[in-house]
Amino acid sequence: MDIKNNINNDIKFLAKSEIRLKILSELDKHPDNVRGLVKKTSIAYSSVSSNIGKLENHNYITKIENKYHINPMTQVYFKTLMDFKNSVELVNTYDAFWNKHNLNQLSITSVKRITDLKNSELIETTPIDIYKTHNTIKNQIMDSKNVRAIFPYLHPEYPNLIEGVLKNDGSVELIVPKSIFKELLFRVNNDVRRKAIRDKKLRVYSFEKDLNLYLTICDENMSLGLFKNDGSFDQNRVLVSNDKQSYNWAEELFNHVKKQVKK
Amino acid sequence: MSTVETKKELIKEFSGVKYILTSGMRSKLLLAIYDGPKNLDELRNELKKPSATILHGLKELENINLIRKVQKYYELTSNGFLLTTNMVKLIENWYALNKNKVFWNSHDLEGIPDDVLKDVYLLKNAEYVASTTSDLSNAFNAYIRLISKAKKLKIIFPIYSENHFKHLIKLLNDKKLKKLEMVVSEEILKSIEENKLLKKELINNKKVKIRCVERKLKVFLTYSEDFMSLTLFFKDGHYDDSQILIAKDKNAIKWAKMLEKLY
Repeated sequence: MDIKNNINNDIKFLAKSEIRLKILSELDKHPDNVRGLVKKTSIAYSSVSSNIGKLENHNYITKIENKYHINPMTQVYFKTLMDFKNSVELVNTYDAFWNKHNLNQLSITSVKRITDLKNSELIETTPIDIYKTHNTIKNQIMDSKNVRAIFPYLHPEYPNLIEGVLKNDGSVELIVPKSIFKELLFRVNNDVRRKAIRDKKLRVYSFEKDLNLYLTICDENMSLGLFKNDGSFDQNRVLVSNDKQSYNWAEELFNHVKKQVKK
Repeated sequence: MSTVETKKELIKEFSGVKYILTSGMRSKLLLAIYDGPKNLDELRNELKKPSATILHGLKELENINLIRKVQKYYELTSNGFLLTTNMVKLIENWYALNKNKVFWNSHDLEGIPDDVLKDVYLLKNAEYVASTTSDLSNAFNAYIRLISKAKKLKIIFPIYSENHFKHLIKLLNDKKLKKLEMVVSEEILKSIEENKLLKKELINNKKVKIRCVERKLKVFLTYSEDFMSLTLFFKDGHYDDSQILIAKDKNAIKWAKMLEKLY
């Protein structure tokens, strides 16, 4: 069976009515009766009552001792539906970040878990602060003990930043395009670099193909930058976040790209 | 708040979901183009609808920036790609749930965090095995067959079952099972410690690692490199040994790892 071409009727049935979705979101928190739901949602009694009837008929909820309970599977249905809702909202909220940008290098898992980025902040440069994106990331790196990053281009300040982390006894793991690999390494102080490589504190992977992704994972933050569809890097926008979910999200993506590096 | 205002707010809250999911044409077009750029002819053949209907749907999707026309081909925009990938995930989530409806609907899912439930699509190849009146231990036997070939096992153990322990000890002593990691609650650990045989064969066994958590456990999860299995509790708090969900594919094992990691 081709499941892909099938928005099934269950999905339609629930998604079609805002009232049913609202009722489910309340029952997902606490079992309740019609009167209680009316009070919580301010929806008219007759609407609540008729939709409760429909939900019960379709086996989404069950009445136990005067209160309606959401069925276990409905609960998961509802959660996945809300996850989809969140993904729509995330795309809309950061429209300027995604729109007309190249997403080819995102892993399919990272796209499917895009809602993990829901607590991110979009940092944009302004005419009076045109280095805002760069400086935000720079500060994150300077405050970090451990840095992992995908750098698709060489910013003149990177060698210094890397050196700083290493001198502080931190560790750095980088994925960079082949074209800047040597240049980046040689600009890091010789002694610091050799010692760090020996101690396995510095690992740099050279990426053979084009890199269309900018990613940093610092101690407390992650940040993501994209290329525009015309092939240029969008220096004016980065998505930054400091919560655990985004951190895990970035880690998955970093490992996904790392796997494509030829040994 | 008046009913009209309530309704307006509700409509706004769920508008993103509703617009995409309740129109068969819009969702089908997105899914068709998700496979790769297509021209009108190809879309007409695939969807078996007149050009006018298809063009109307395409225009709508173009207006909200989910698709764009390049030469004569329609393709997803970045936003369209993000959204459609997540719609596919939603469809797969619901498919995975529907496939094992009886299993999901009859159990308490509280032990499975939302974050993992959202990715239940990873279990789309899972099958459930149930005991029958003529074979009361069908599910249990299926479980024993599964673990008998494993070299490494990770188990979230929510129950004290000498029957299960006995089999595991045998596998350890037969030297087939090289490593066993268990997550148990304090209560269960205490019971294991009180049993001399279990204390000797499990707690004092180098091949066994037991991790104790404070909270009460509500999932029985087992996985190795080749399979994962899941059994749950009924809503009334009793453990259900009659139904087991089993999968042997990579995605399902990935799901199991995600769940275990949260404990």
